[in-house]
Amino acid sequence: MLNKPYSNRAWLGVLPVVLVVAFSAVVPLITVVNYSVQDILDFNSRFFVGLEWYQQTLNDPRFIDAFLRQLGFSASVLLLEIPLGILVAKGIPRQSRMTPFLLVFLAVPLLIPWNVVGTIWQIFARADIGLLGVTLNAAGFAYNYTAEPLHAWLTLLAMDVWHWTSLVALLSFAGLTSIPQPYYQAAELDGASRWQIFRHVELPRLRGVLIIAVLLRLMDSFMIYTEPFVLTGGGPGNTTTFLSQHLATMAVGQFDLGPAAAFSVIYFLFILLFCWLFYTSVMVRDETP
Amino acid sequence: MAEIQLVDVSFSYPGAAGATLEQLSLQVADGQAHALLGASGAGKTTLLNLLSGLLSPDQGRILFDGQDVSRLPGRERHVAQVFQFPVLYESMSVRANLQFPLTNARVDVDVARQRIDHVSAELGIESLLERRAGQLGLFEKQLVAVAKALVRPDVALVLLDEPLTAVEPKIKWQLRQVLRKAQADLGVTMIYVTHDQTEALTFADQVSILTAQGILQSGTPQQIYEAPAHEFVGHFVGSPGMNFVPAALFDQPQAERLGFRPEWAALVSPSAAALQGAVSRVRAQGSQGGEHVGLTTIVTQHGEVHVHGPLRFAVGHEVGIQVGRYVLFRAQQQIGTGRWHAE
Amino acid sequence: MKHLSHWVLLAFCIYLLLPLYWLLNMALRSNSSIAGGFELVPASPTWANFGEIFTNPVWTQAFANSLTYVGLNTIISLVVAVPAAYVFSRYRFLGDRQLFFWLLTNRMAPPAVFLLPFFQLYSAIGLFDTPFAVALAHCLFTVPLSVWILEGFFSAVPRSLDEMARLDGHGFGYFFFRIFLPVNRGALGVTLFFCFMFSWVELLLARTLSGSDAKPVVVVMTRTVSASGMDWGVLAAAGVLTILPGVLVVWFVRKHLIKGFALGRVT
Repeated sequence: MLNKPYSNRAWLGVLPVVLVVAFSAVVPLITVVNYSVQDILDFNSRFFVGLEWYQQTLNDPRFIDAFLRQLGFSASVLLLEIPLGILVAKGIPRQSRMTPFLLVFLAVPLLIPWNVVGTIWQIFARADIGLLGVTLNAAGFAYNYTAEPLHAWLTLLAMDVWHWTSLVALLSFAGLTSIPQPYYQAAELDGASRWQIFRHVELPRLRGVLIIAVLLRLMDSFMIYTEPFVLTGGGPGNTTTFLSQHLATMAVGQFDLGPAAAFSVIYFLFILLFCWLFYTSVMVRDETP
Repeated sequence: MAEIQLVDVSFSYPGAAGATLEQLSLQVADGQAHALLGASGAGKTTLLNLLSGLLSPDQGRILFDGQDVSRLPGRERHVAQVFQFPVLYESMSVRANLQFPLTNARVDVDVARQRIDHVSAELGIESLLERRAGQLGLFEKQLVAVAKALVRPDVALVLLDEPLTAVEPKIKWQLRQVLRKAQADLGVTMIYVTHDQTEALTFADQVSILTAQGILQSGTPQQIYEAPAHEFVGHFVGSPGMNFVPAALFDQPQAERLGFRPEWAALVSPSAAALQGAVSRVRAQGSQGGEHVGLTTIVTQHGEVHVHGPLRFAVGHEVGIQVGRYVLFRAQQQIGTGRWHAE
Repeated sequence: MKHLSHWVLLAFCIYLLLPLYWLLNMALRSNSSIAGGFELVPASPTWANFGEIFTNPVWTQAFANSLTYVGLNTIISLVVAVPAAYVFSRYRFLGDRQLFFWLLTNRMAPPAVFLLPFFQLYSAIGLFDTPFAVALAHCLFTVPLSVWILEGFFSAVPRSLDEMARLDGHGFGYFFFRIFLPVNRGALGVTLFFCFMFSWVELLLARTLSGSDAKPVVVVMTRTVSASGMDWGVLAAAGVLTILPGVLVVWFVRKHLIKGFALGRVT
């Protein structure tokens, strides 16, 4: 990092990226910010309303509900997937003929289109035709995720764990394989228990990949749209309507451009804020001895 | 502390063609600093892993103070190890690192504190105790790793696996001194594995030469240097190694070959010696009593010979080589040593 | 702990497998069989659902559309990201850190935020309902990602390689295309994998930016309602088919994947 030569000609190399991303990001973002301070009746008559849409959004109980649901969902997802992913990674054999097949198999859910993930779980969990739904009902549970909010939530969480735990597991596995054997040997000679080896040898060395894993799962779970859209459609009622779905309904369904734009800005800023908070908190802890 | 014995130990890796170690025996006295010197591929790491309990021998026994530990895991043998690069719990403080094995061994808190203070004073790392291990420099980390190996009062054996590899050459010397002093003061049994002969010869009370054929010789550094038991030892130890010429040249019919160290010979006029050749290379290495000394390489009809001493002949000169001390070999095994008084 | 984690792995694999198995189960059954009752193993398996997909132009066109914009997106992303990543890994320049950070923030933008402006933007420039619209829109996410992944790999290649090529008298073009990129084959593979992964799995933008002509397979799947209700069998068969390209790609780059993950440079 330090001894790289300084050259502003290097800008030529990044120019294409800047152009592509600016075209895709800056223009639309300006549009969004522009809409968020205007009342748009149709595209020919609009007037400036200042921060009104922001106030309205922040005071909107539907927004607050969706936001709280979102927080609950993201927190649950992190609490489930991070520990489970680490455990799964610890179970993967390091050097075995099975290992490549296992890794490819684990990666499969990550490569399935998100709406297909929703569809798979719909087919799997439906009380009339799904393996899970039928089995649960046959076992005496009146399980129906389309009618029971609790069931809908549990099904969504099960689906997200199914979809994304592999990411945490693969990252953790990569972290574990980078620990040199002598660390394990030294701990063994020190009489360390399995828990101590995990706590003092593995966990500190997994820190880097776990930070990435938490950031990714935090961001992506905060943006989740497609899977609940397909599986529950946000219902029953609004009980599984998260921020993205609320936004899509406002923007495309109801065409409330101004409020939707204000909502978008707030939404984006929240994600940036969370990521920044998490990132700085781990970095500050890193500085202190 | 313990006396360590390996009795006829054999080991081969599953699936490997031949045995990595075969019928190997070794004896290390209690409190001894023992160096295992060998080129890479000689089975040093395997031997180390057998001692530390990571591997178990296929045949033979490993005895600590007469007790068979061959099948015991490392933690029950009370072995500590220092690795090629510093292995510490990097998120803990130095003190916590030293405390960790003591707590696991259920050492009384007061005893542990005394022990930590004693060992860290011995290694001069008192000022580092409260720092986080991950923040230290490479040299400091390796010192702490050594301290961690020495800190357990019940440690039977400390294994060092080329512990100076990662350290800068300049600091190597310093770390070796510290290590040697701590070993002597604490009286620990130490086995030091290295491919570096200077490290081995300056560190150890006893040196064993390990090759793929097994241990060729165990002895004091002086014995290893002056009376190698096998031609390979003479060749491998010393830089350059021993010169070998046909023993018949020197009227030694009981031997096949005669070996001599470069500094055991002197250059004279061609007619005055049994061995002659032409100087092909001269390398100055300093001066002594106003005279340049260094290494002269002579091409003889029995191969190149190196002689260390005053540099009196330039490249191209015909010279004779007069040998003072020598070692005799038959079938590569040493069968005697001797000296002439004509240096 | 060790034993526990082996059991957890086994249980997790079964957990991953069950819904996939059920998808396949459904795909191999006729709609009347699905409606007729619960069958753990298809009693009379049929390829009819797959046949329907391969013969119906709506489905084949949809698969072609999807692969087109995924391919376009991957090419654009790699072409612009490779020089940028090289430059980031080799030089310091005015605003480099800020630029890198700005690129990464785009990864944090919810696609839903861009729905409307994208729709308007691409309508305005006449790209709406073409594969280019979706490909470009996905670039917003795949380009920063590609730069990030590639930069990690490129930085791990010692700069002495560059120097050596120069000392050997090779021009920059020769060095870059004949030496540097081949050395980084793995990095390109991993990046390709993640571009593919993002573009292939995304629905929201793909749906918004495509009308009837460029409709991708993921969108067609959300509309499989026939006269007799949901066409579960065909839906499941389409689901099975959408999984295959991903499996192929991951198999192709499997050796490089763990290295990529280890660099911590991944989606």
